[in-house]
Amino acid sequence: MHEFEYLRADEVGRAVATVAGDPGASYLAGGTTQLDLMKDGVLAPDRLVDITRLPLGGIACDGDMLHVGAVTTMEELAADRTVAERLPFLRQALLLGASVQLRNMATIGGNLLQRTRCRYFRDPAVSACNKRLRGSGCAAVHGAARMHAILGASQHCIAVHASDMAVPLVALDAVVRLLGRHGERSVPLTEFYLLPGDTPDVENVLSRGELITAVEIPLLAPETRSTYLKVRDRASYEFALTSAAVALRLDGGVIGEARVALGGVGTVPWRAPAAEAVLRGAPAGEEAFTAAAEAAVVDPFTVEGTAFKVELAKRTLVRALRTVTAGAP
Amino acid sequence: MTTVERVRLVGEGVDRVDGPLKATGAARYPNDFNLPDMAHAALVRSTVAAGRVRGLDTAAAESSPGVLAVITHRNAPSLGHGPDTILSTPPPPLQHDRILHYGQYLAVVVADTAEEATAAARRIKVDYDEAEALLDMHDPRAEVLVDPFKTDSDRGDAESALAAAEVQFEAAYTTSENTNSPLGLFTTVAAWDGDTLTVHDSTQWPGNVRTALARVFGLPENAVRVLAPFVGGGFGAGLRPWPHVVLAALAARTVGRPVKLVLSRPEMFTGTGHRTASEQRVRIGATRDGHLVALHHESTTTLQMEGDNFEPCASGTSYAYACPNLRTRDTQVRLNITWCNSMRAPGEAQGNFALESAMDELAYALGIDPLELRLRNYAEEHPGLGLPWSSKALRECYEVGAERFGWSRRDPEPGSMRDGDQLIGYGMAGVSFFWFQQPCQASATLREDGTALVRSAVTDIGTGTYTVMTQLSAELLGLPLSRVAFELGDSDMPEGAPAGGSGLTAGLGSAVQSACHNLVRAFLDIVRHDHTSPLRGCEVDEVAVADGRIFRMGSPGRGESYTDLLAAHGLHELTADGAATPGTSEELGIAPAGAFGAKFVEIRVDPELGTLHLERVVSAIDAGRILNEKTATSQILGGTVGGIGMALFEETVTDRDTGRIANGTFGDYLIPVNADIPDMQVIFVGRPDRFNPVGVKGVGEIGLVGMSAAIANAIHHATGRRLRSLPLTIDMLL
Repeated sequence: MHEFEYLRADEVGRAVATVAGDPGASYLAGGTTQLDLMKDGVLAPDRLVDITRLPLGGIACDGDMLHVGAVTTMEELAADRTVAERLPFLRQALLLGASVQLRNMATIGGNLLQRTRCRYFRDPAVSACNKRLRGSGCAAVHGAARMHAILGASQHCIAVHASDMAVPLVALDAVVRLLGRHGERSVPLTEFYLLPGDTPDVENVLSRGELITAVEIPLLAPETRSTYLKVRDRASYEFALTSAAVALRLDGGVIGEARVALGGVGTVPWRAPAAEAVLRGAPAGEEAFTAAAEAAVVDPFTVEGTAFKVELAKRTLVRALRTVTAGAP
Repeated sequence: MTTVERVRLVGEGVDRVDGPLKATGAARYPNDFNLPDMAHAALVRSTVAAGRVRGLDTAAAESSPGVLAVITHRNAPSLGHGPDTILSTPPPPLQHDRILHYGQYLAVVVADTAEEATAAARRIKVDYDEAEALLDMHDPRAEVLVDPFKTDSDRGDAESALAAAEVQFEAAYTTSENTNSPLGLFTTVAAWDGDTLTVHDSTQWPGNVRTALARVFGLPENAVRVLAPFVGGGFGAGLRPWPHVVLAALAARTVGRPVKLVLSRPEMFTGTGHRTASEQRVRIGATRDGHLVALHHESTTTLQMEGDNFEPCASGTSYAYACPNLRTRDTQVRLNITWCNSMRAPGEAQGNFALESAMDELAYALGIDPLELRLRNYAEEHPGLGLPWSSKALRECYEVGAERFGWSRRDPEPGSMRDGDQLIGYGMAGVSFFWFQQPCQASATLREDGTALVRSAVTDIGTGTYTVMTQLSAELLGLPLSRVAFELGDSDMPEGAPAGGSGLTAGLGSAVQSACHNLVRAFLDIVRHDHTSPLRGCEVDEVAVADGRIFRMGSPGRGESYTDLLAAHGLHELTADGAATPGTSEELGIAPAGAFGAKFVEIRVDPELGTLHLERVVSAIDAGRILNEKTATSQILGGTVGGIGMALFEETVTDRDTGRIANGTFGDYLIPVNADIPDMQVIFVGRPDRFNPVGVKGVGEIGLVGMSAAIANAIHHATGRRLRSLPLTIDMLL
């Protein structure tokens, strides 16, 4: 492994200044992605700034908003009572991700910034990867693709954003709080991620050294029904082939508010506003569910190994909608 | 002496004698050995599958911190070639600039620490003259090996019988490449002392590694010692002496220090072999009432560019069923792929999937219960040899397994059994495993403190060899378990058989039996003319042993204890050697039988999402005598889990253009997790085998075989869909 300096940050502003001022520096939180990529030679930072001891943890509820510190672990968030009561599909998504050991290390900020699992990205012996080296091409498009994106993808890149947690978060209109050299700002998560286009190496709006300090999550209204459905090749400890996060309010069999996002299929966590529009005001039933699924998966970019995901993603959403509306009066 | 006729079929399930060592971390695996002044090695692998090394820029690596040596084909010494046994030794590494597969070793870097070696290895720049790689088994340029195992068989007139059959069936089946993936990363720790070499290695066959290293470095065999007291699994991957083992020893010789080399997981995928892909075609001719009249099975498997791989997929069909007309053909296609090698049930795992799927398809075509169809074609004697089986309780496997499973509750109509929206599927498969046994030696020693030490240069790769051989030795010497130690994993011990082919327990057990008999005989020899001994003049078949004593059969009072015998003759210990070579069917007039089994599975399929959930598996196994119920059950359970992996998850993907392994990590190559594993029941039936002196047939691999077909057959039962390609994944079930 490339030799690097390890620094334990003791103050948030100094941590930001250090990383912002040094192109060779990176933040280190749980390390569950970063250290793997360093061992594999994909990332080779000269300096790691450990932010896990900074006062960026903690979960606080303020009215209908949950404030989650960036270094809160996935297990801590999943165990939170408010999350269990008011964001049940977020809890489901958290607990369906990774393994207990990883969830005890991995942080919320790190989860949002996790790198793709694309094996062509993760193997430096592969030269063609636009995400590692802009303009080098995409080996995955011609290679063995299965765990890859069909939405937001193109010849330039089909790498999927593999987070489960981020799928309900984009559905919830969560907001990330950022701290950079020039101060603080808030960005809706739906605007935080960038579609790969022809620059798949640029994955989000973060500027050099900008740090996620917290995530603000609007709580669901108490009468909202929600679910997260994850379809994967094996029963545990595996990323999604497809997933759907759905939150609905029903009023006498008619859908009121609808929030829908898809996972496992997008280059970014995939909010599906067109599906929400189909559902809003429609009677809860197969007709609306099927129409929503059609509206959610539009203009997919598929390769041989991912073609099946078009249908699977639709069926996953239909099933999630059916599940979440089951037993409704 | 006690003989096998009087032993119970299933031996006591005593706890593993090495269990406490493993549970406390005291068992030392190759990776646990660290020697004074030890250096570390890291490998550079080819990133192309064919061509030549045009240039190697090693300057940056050589000047990297801690680097002691960089060895490439340009500065490596000339090395000899290891032995070709049932599996050939890969050619010695770094002898030329030619590249035959992705991941081939191009350099080894030695440094003070493993991190320094790895970092330096990444700084080596390789320029290639890349050639077009042959990666597709249908490539017309690829060399095809016909009947490479000399196992092709013909009976009767298979073509005419098929053409004339009342019912004809034909289907093609494919299986994917799988990678063995033992948890323990293969490790070699090599240390030279002058011209003698000591190696700790992840191997299933220390004696073979010893011979290989001796030949590679031009040493007498007794100048090389290979140690493997504990190995972190193998599933066949440890049966060949791999090039990295040679490189560790070469590195140690080059820098004059001990060297440790630990493969990474991606290196395990390119450097320690894999199960081949197969394409198979089965054609069956049958009568309308379900009697087979013609059976054709053709298989093509992949093969690396050099050396061999024993992988007959079709030949097992020749003895699976009674059928007068038969034709089996195995071929291999040479490609620029990483080494193919035995992986738990080589050939049998793939061949059984095709044959047992085809039998299920035929059963549906005929409207006969799949289990009944198998019984109607039961091979009462060995179909090829025309001799009685040394043992065969496959019928009992079917009957007991079906009863335990509740096969009679199955409605044969596909899609007819449901649990809410979930489709229920019942599937089964029969297994007739091959017979395999190698010569083996052992020694047995009784010491003045009344303890016995039995040894052989074999390995226990997690199977329970330590435990079952301790049990067997204790029984044969008439000692309590606590007074017997079994040692293994050292090539200086008597020559051991490989832990492969499900043949170790049979071969080693026979050698241990021989050594223990010879030891008792040695005790009788010292009192042969002793007028004071009640054992005077006794032959070994006139005595029995119990409680640390030898006594005249039927007269427990007329005997002496081992310790008294040693003391009376001024001996501290007495040792005898034993050896066993399997007999032949000509001598014995019986056909040697491998294990038999029947697999029954119940699944749930979600037809909308294509997800499959296993509910339960019943395995009924005839493996002859079972030495230890607990460890044997664990072997079947572990095999069943491996079979679930092969059926549902495992697929080593090779990039079409580059020959690179596209999923060579545990994040990308899926093996089952606990949540995928259902309730699994194991039942042992049958009798001690007559071919093997100890009565055992081996349980190492049969647990895996049949799972793929049973699950595919259950899928058909649940959904009406016939899937003929492994692994069986969600996209196929949508």
